[in-house]
Amino acid sequence: MKRLVIAVAVLALAGCGGEAVVPESPAAHGHGASSAAPPVPGASARFNDADVTFVQMMVDHLQLGISLSQVGIAKAESKEAKDLASAIDVTQREELTMLKSWLKLWDKPEGDGANLHAAHGGQPLLDDKVINETKDKSGAEFDQVFLNLMTGHQGAGVEMALTEKKDGQNPEATAYAERVVTSRQGQIQQMLKIIGGV
Amino acid sequence: MKLMRKAALVLAAVPAIVLITPVGSASAHGYVSSPASRSAQCARGDIAESLCGQAKYEPQSAEGPKGLKNCSGANDSFAPLNNDSLPWKVTNTGQTLSLTWTFTARHATRDYEYFIGGTRVGYFSGNNQQPNNPTTHQINLGGFSGRQKLIAIWNISDTVNAFYSCIDLNISGGGGTTPPPTSTTTRPPTTTTTTTSTQQPPAGGTWAANTSYAAGATVTYGGSSYRCRQAHTSLTGWEPPNVAALWEKI
Repeated sequence: MKRLVIAVAVLALAGCGGEAVVPESPAAHGHGASSAAPPVPGASARFNDADVTFVQMMVDHLQLGISLSQVGIAKAESKEAKDLASAIDVTQREELTMLKSWLKLWDKPEGDGANLHAAHGGQPLLDDKVINETKDKSGAEFDQVFLNLMTGHQGAGVEMALTEKKDGQNPEATAYAERVVTSRQGQIQQMLKIIGGV
Repeated sequence: MKLMRKAALVLAAVPAIVLITPVGSASAHGYVSSPASRSAQCARGDIAESLCGQAKYEPQSAEGPKGLKNCSGANDSFAPLNNDSLPWKVTNTGQTLSLTWTFTARHATRDYEYFIGGTRVGYFSGNNQQPNNPTTHQINLGGFSGRQKLIAIWNISDTVNAFYSCIDLNISGGGGTTPPPTSTTTRPPTTTTTTTSTQQPPAGGTWAANTSYAAGATVTYGGSSYRCRQAHTSLTGWEPPNVAALWEKI
């Protein structure tokens, strides 16, 4: 029971943040190679409140992660950190497109970070201010701050996804949650290795 | 046009946010990531998931009431963190040690405490403020030497709970006896898993996790061929069919 309560609170708080502005990806438009990018996987119409909350929270969570990735791509010193930032950036843009299409299909709003937080009284790891402050760092110090924040942020994503796996109903959303758990765990593993010099 | 549409969606969203009843329980989570605590070692894959349990996925969630002196917060899902006989990696250190926390959310903080045995060797007030990113502390190990287990505790200020993180140390320069050389090295990773380094892929081989792929590299997966679009180290969950952003089907 305690875990459940915590998990709900985590869902309410963990992934939220300020309003992150996601720059358009150059790959997102301008080339007609529709064969290169398969159609966005749809989500079936059977869903519950946990699915909706998860997807709404993930939209905000992904946007914040993309914003932090952008700084990582621009400033990371280590090639491993920079490559990981780039890969997180492109994969999360792809996920964002998919999740927004699900909300449209379900006729649910995207919501926005500020309101989600106001509703949940949360204190997220990331917001625009925290992300902007990382820009003042450089070199190894930047990498340390960037990796520390990204490790924590993706860990919050795991918590949200575990809650969705438990409480969600929509098959596509719960399958996506499983991919979030494994892929973020894999990213955290890589980042902890870079942090530890292993 | 696209912008207009987005703006309309956002506007539409405001009155319709799904509400969850606020819960008074802790939702701030955290652990010591450097040097790698037991939780971090589970998340890093140093110790097999079968031995670590939930700590692999939630290294930040060893939560329990304040005032405990253990590694799991007396939280059953994290009990393996208390097992001193698992092959934890040991950090060699002098008398001064720098530790860095990783948080998944920033809750107001009462304080941080560090214990070896029953002795508190470090204390930092949190002033009931949100922690900095990252939060790093330098502690003096108080003359302890040899193989020791340091318990790091994050006491948050608005619930009864704390988060626990244990770090295995081999301390030199203390007042005690010098540890025997056998305990100064990291134990061999006999039961640890898999990949401590990434592998170079064979050209055109089968996709595998924990492999460094350059842009342009080709792999096969599930009977199809893919070309890498973005240099990355692969991982479970980033299988080519799941991430068109990383792999273009050819």
